[in-house]
Amino acid sequence: MMKWAIFILSWLWAVPVWAQTSLDVDDAWLALGHYRPSFWSDTYTSTIDSENFFLSKDGKTSPEAELSATIELFSKPGNEKQKCPLPARYKYLKRRGVKLAEFPKCEELEKFYDDLQPSGVTLLFTDAYMNNPSSLFGHTLMRVDTKRKGTQLLAHGLNYGAFTAGKENSVLFAVWGLTGGYFGGFTVKPYYDIINTYNNIENRDIWELNLDLTPEELDFFVAHLWEIGHTQTRYYFFTQNCSYMLMETLDAVRPSLKLADDFPVQTIPLDTLKAVYSRPGLVKNINYRPSRQAKIRHRYNNMSPKEQDAYIQAIKNQDFSLPALDESEKADVLETAYQYVQYQYVAKELELADYRKRSFKILMARNKLTEKGKIAELSKGQSPLETHEAMRATLGMGVRNGEVFEEISYRPAYHSLTDNNYGFLRGAEINFLNTIIRHYDNSKKTVLQEFNLVGIKSISPMDKMFQPISYAIDAKIERLMNPQTEEEGYAFNLKVGGGASYALSDNLWVYGMLNNYAAYGGFLPHDQYLGLGAAVGTFADFNRYRLLAEAEKVWATHKIGSATKYKLEAALSLSTNMAVAAEYSYRQNYGRDIEEAVFSTRWYF
Amino acid sequence: MKKLYLFSLLIAGALALASNASAIDSTGCGLGSMAWRGQSGIGPQVLAATTNGSFGTQTFGITFGTSGCDPNGRVTGGTGRMMLAFLENNMEQYALDAAAGHGETIETMAGILNMDSEKLGEMSKQNFATLFPNENVDAVELTLNVLEMVKQA
Repeated sequence: MMKWAIFILSWLWAVPVWAQTSLDVDDAWLALGHYRPSFWSDTYTSTIDSENFFLSKDGKTSPEAELSATIELFSKPGNEKQKCPLPARYKYLKRRGVKLAEFPKCEELEKFYDDLQPSGVTLLFTDAYMNNPSSLFGHTLMRVDTKRKGTQLLAHGLNYGAFTAGKENSVLFAVWGLTGGYFGGFTVKPYYDIINTYNNIENRDIWELNLDLTPEELDFFVAHLWEIGHTQTRYYFFTQNCSYMLMETLDAVRPSLKLADDFPVQTIPLDTLKAVYSRPGLVKNINYRPSRQAKIRHRYNNMSPKEQDAYIQAIKNQDFSLPALDESEKADVLETAYQYVQYQYVAKELELADYRKRSFKILMARNKLTEKGKIAELSKGQSPLETHEAMRATLGMGVRNGEVFEEISYRPAYHSLTDNNYGFLRGAEINFLNTIIRHYDNSKKTVLQEFNLVGIKSISPMDKMFQPISYAIDAKIERLMNPQTEEEGYAFNLKVGGGASYALSDNLWVYGMLNNYAAYGGFLPHDQYLGLGAAVGTFADFNRYRLLAEAEKVWATHKIGSATKYKLEAALSLSTNMAVAAEYSYRQNYGRDIEEAVFSTRWYF
Repeated sequence: MKKLYLFSLLIAGALALASNASAIDSTGCGLGSMAWRGQSGIGPQVLAATTNGSFGTQTFGITFGTSGCDPNGRVTGGTGRMMLAFLENNMEQYALDAAAGHGETIETMAGILNMDSEKLGEMSKQNFATLFPNENVDAVELTLNVLEMVKQA
């Protein structure tokens, strides 16, 4: 009897041991393996492309097989080589109560923890950088905060990006990027290095969103980071990009977040920031780190006229004695001047030797002072979390030369000058795939009016310190009317222009640009023309109310391209994500006029 | 002519498509690399010999690490090595903080050196001319100067 009891009991004990090899796949496992559901069936595929990430040969497409293989690996002792790269999986199995052999001693992994000395996780957002079209949408990174003594400068930034070495200047850049021709992966750098790159070299603001993770989650994050740090993933510019992978990584740490689910099609960095912020209790604190340029502007704007004058003169004459100022004024002026010299060097406005000499002069002068400066550091900026949404749809009604039409438009991304500029780089516009469809009442025809592949415009005022170039790039297919024949047809139109802008006041900017045009289309006489345009414009931004006015004269190789154009666009925000707009345009060519007015409502979502 | 247009279209497309890219290897390392950065090669080794820094070889997965400046892309090693890596990247900012006697780099370095940041600020300001003897000082020399200054305190 006793024997039987022991036998049955041993079975009861044994059953769970067997069951362990066929543990259910749960959300946490799917997130940990970066498994994403297929659009059209019940299957899963992992985003990770490195074979060494999977223990099972079917691991990439079978979360079940991979789970079994993982249990098998960790149930038995030994095999450090396979175990050491997968510490988070071990922690996961342990949490699920699977009986495991002890995790081996992994020197490199321990060194990783030792170097990081993790104390938290922060999501970083860097805003647009106008000098580089590949960063117009901003960028996100992560930071593993450190408990090292000192500051978070000693923390580590975590960047997911494409490895483009040797291929970045190729015309195929776009093709590679779209088709996954590049591999993406994680790199770790000290945070001070990240700050130098973004704040100091590219002059981009950094926003830090401190995440509220439990100590277990933090530990799990670092372990998982170690796992994916050794892998590569095909990089797709729009979908599996820098921001998207961070979402999957956070999901792995807290599966209930389901952040990756929010981005099935396109992943805009700003949207991932908002998604993270929208999850209850995830963000505990937000911190702003202004760019060097923003700091310089802030300091200059906070100087008295006397200081401003002394500052400009000192830089001009390379004389930093500043006799007219008291000690603390001197400190403020010198510290600003020093930052400005750094800026100039990075902007290649100064040679190395000259830069060193100037820097040193300022430092010596600053070192002599005993007082501190009085200007408070810039600590507040316009939060990217309060910006309008990137997708825009409009519904409008208008008149063209007396004929009434209705119009709808859709723009997947991102921001135009007359949209609410709060939180965006002011004066910078990037419209992507904007599509306008129009219906004319009298002639009862519905037409594609415009398909704008990409429109980029940067109006950036020059002043005493900064001399940026303003520029415009525009590529679109548009429906044109030949005023002579009143026939309509399509043409592809490319515009590339550059110029300068000045600020008359904080809210009122003027600009002038020279534009190159190239148009192509069967509708055009001789199929094509080239043109040169001279444009002047005004951009007024009173936050809620924006106005853009432009006049342009174009000379082209064919009369149909030669035109005089006036354009006026005004918008009024009713809320963050809703605005009303009025547009007027006048175009004269072949001695005839085309006059158009549209009133529309804009929704952002 | 048609080819030209196609080409233009491609360029425009490239611009558009590039928009979400972040190319890891196109960004350099710190500002320090451009200006006052110490010579690589013999310098750091001398420093390693004279301080308690150790320049072990760090090898990792190919995607992990390398910031372009630090061989392993991490804050690591003993005081001397951490200080050198930090100053290679932050020399310009420390120069200003040292001249003024306060700032973020001083707080950070005080952490590395395990000392009071106000004290380090004061010392840096007082010894500025010794720390930065001339405009051609490099990160290795500066690091040695800082460590020497702290030792004497």
